[in-house]
Amino acid sequence: MAGMTFAQKALAAAAGRERVEVGEILFVEPDVCLSHDNSAAIIKTFGSMGAERVRYPERTAIFLDHCVPAADERYAANHKRIREFVAEQGIVHFHDVNRGVCHQVLAEQGLARPGGIVAGSDSHTTTAGAFGAFAAGIGRTEAASIWATGRLWFRVPEALSIELAGEFPPGVGAKDLALKIIGDIGADGALYMSVEFSGPAAAGLSVSERMLLANMGAEMGAKNAYLPPDEKVERFLEGRPEPYESRPLFPDEDAEYARRLRYDLSEIEPGLACPHTVANYAPVREKAGTRIHQALIGTCTNGRIEDLRAAAEVLRGRKVARGVRLLVFPASSEVYMQALKEGLMEVFLAAGAVVMNPGCGPCLGAHEGVLAPGEVCISTANRNFKGRMGCKEAEIYLASPETVAASAVAGEIALPPAYGKEASREG
Amino acid sequence: MSGRPSLSAEGRVWLITGPDGKLMDDIDTDMIYHNAHLAVTEVSEMGRYAFGNLEGWRDFPEKVRPGDIVIAGANFGCGSSRQHAVDCFRALGVGALVVESAGAIYFRNAVNSAFPLVIAPGIGESGIKQGDSVSIDFETGLIKDLDRPVVFRARPFSAVQREIYLAGSLFAVRPS
Repeated sequence: MAGMTFAQKALAAAAGRERVEVGEILFVEPDVCLSHDNSAAIIKTFGSMGAERVRYPERTAIFLDHCVPAADERYAANHKRIREFVAEQGIVHFHDVNRGVCHQVLAEQGLARPGGIVAGSDSHTTTAGAFGAFAAGIGRTEAASIWATGRLWFRVPEALSIELAGEFPPGVGAKDLALKIIGDIGADGALYMSVEFSGPAAAGLSVSERMLLANMGAEMGAKNAYLPPDEKVERFLEGRPEPYESRPLFPDEDAEYARRLRYDLSEIEPGLACPHTVANYAPVREKAGTRIHQALIGTCTNGRIEDLRAAAEVLRGRKVARGVRLLVFPASSEVYMQALKEGLMEVFLAAGAVVMNPGCGPCLGAHEGVLAPGEVCISTANRNFKGRMGCKEAEIYLASPETVAASAVAGEIALPPAYGKEASREG
Repeated sequence: MSGRPSLSAEGRVWLITGPDGKLMDDIDTDMIYHNAHLAVTEVSEMGRYAFGNLEGWRDFPEKVRPGDIVIAGANFGCGSSRQHAVDCFRALGVGALVVESAGAIYFRNAVNSAFPLVIAPGIGESGIKQGDSVSIDFETGLIKDLDRPVVFRARPFSAVQREIYLAGSLFAVRPS
C-alpha cells in the first residue's frame, strides 16, 4: 500500500483515522474558522439556519481587513453588526480595523500551526499551509455551518508535488517562482488538489516566502498548499499565543501524487502576470518599458517585513517617477511597527510613496487607490482579474516587490536593479 | 420552501459563450459578481449583478427567466470565495448551472448551499445550441436536448451533494 500525502495524513488525523483514501468524504472539526468583513453575510446565513450559539467561540477568528476603516455606510453597518455579534457570542479571536490582513494576523496570533485544520471564508486561506497546516478556503454557508456545528465535510484531495532545488539569482524571489508555476500549469492546474512543496530549496525558504507560495496556491486552483514545517516555523511561533497544539505532519516518501513537478530556482527570472489572468505569464524583460500609473506594494501576498525591506532597498535615495502613485500597505500592525523601527517608512515617504494603513487596500477594488479607465497598475497582489481593482477598463500586472519598486521609480515596467548584477556565485 | 426539491431540472439554455462562439473558460468570481457589490448581504439583491463584469453578458439579469439553465466552460468561478457568485443565480431563479469544471471553492459553495451545479466535461462540444430546452437528471447526469437529438452524459451528483441538495442545506446534514 502506498504511503500518504500530507493532505491524507492531516485529514486522517483530524477524523481520528489511521488511513484515508483520496476521494473519501470526512467530517472533521477545524481548529480555526476564519472570516473577515464577509462575516456580516455569514451572520445572516447563520441566523436563517436557525442557529443561535456559536459552537466553539474559541475556534472562531474574525478579522476586519477588506474595507478598513469602512469606506461607506454599507461597510460601516456590516462592521457594526460584526462587532455586536462578536460581543454576543464571545468570539475569542477578533481583530478590528487596526490590525491587518486576516492571513497575516492569523499567523501572528499563532492560529496557523503545523497539522492544524484551518477553514477560512477567504480563498487565500491556503496561506496558512506555509506553517504545515491543512488550510482551505470555504464559502459563506460553510462558515455559518462551522459556527453552528463546529464541523465540516471535506473530500480527501488528490495531490500535486512540487519539488524545489537550487537558489534564486539576485533580485529574484518566491513571487517570481509562483507566477512562473501558475503560467506553466494554468489557473486550474492544481484544481481541487493539495499542492505539496518539498526539496532542499523549500527548506531553505523563509517563512515569508513560504507564505507567498502557499498564498498563490489559490491561483492554481488548489484546495490547500503545504510546506514542511521546521525550526523556522517554530522560531516564528515562539513567544506567540498557542491556541492549540502543533502536530507536525510530513508526507510519506512513497506517497502517491497525481502529478509531480520540479523547479530549479536558479532558472527563475523576474516575472509578471499580465492582464487579465494570473496565468498570463511573461518575463519582466519582455514587457519592460510598459508605462504605469500606479504601483502597489502590500496585501496578503507581499506585505510582510521582508517584502517592505526588499522594496525599500530599491527605493532608498530614489524618487517615484512623475505621474506614478506608489502605495505601500503593510500587511499588519506588527509589520508596520517593525518597518517604522527599521526606518523603512522614511525611505518610502522620502521616495514619494503614500503609506497606507494595514489591510487589503485596493486589491479587491473596495477603496484606497482604485484605478481609472485606461490606467495601468503594477502590484504585488495575487489577482489581476479584469475589474479587480475597481475599474473594468484598467490593466493590472502582478510582480515581486523588487520589480514593483523598480517600476515605480522608472515610471514603466522595469527589472529589479539587483537582477543580473552579481551572477558570480562560484565556490 | 415547499417539499423535497426535485432531482431534475428542465429549462431554456444560456450558453455562456465568448466572441468566438465557444463556451468561455476561467470565468472568475469578479466577472460573475463584481467586487463593487460585495457589501450586499441580502441574497434577493444579488441577482441584478450576475455577470455584471462579463463582456457581452452584462444584460444577463434582464434576459434570464426563472427555470433557465446556464451552461459555461472550464474553471467556472475560479478566484474569490464570495458566495455571492452562486447566490446571484439563485436569486434569479436559475434552474441549474452546468459547467465543464468549477473552481474548488465555487463548487463547494454551490453544493453546500444546495444549489444544483452539474459538472459536465465536454459539454461545449455536445451539440446543444443557444436557446434550446434541455432536461437534466441530477442522479444519472443525463442531459437531453428537447429540441434536437442530442443526449449528453454529465457527472451525476455525488452522494454528499445529493444528500445536501435534498436536505436543502448543509446545516441539515449530520455525519453518519
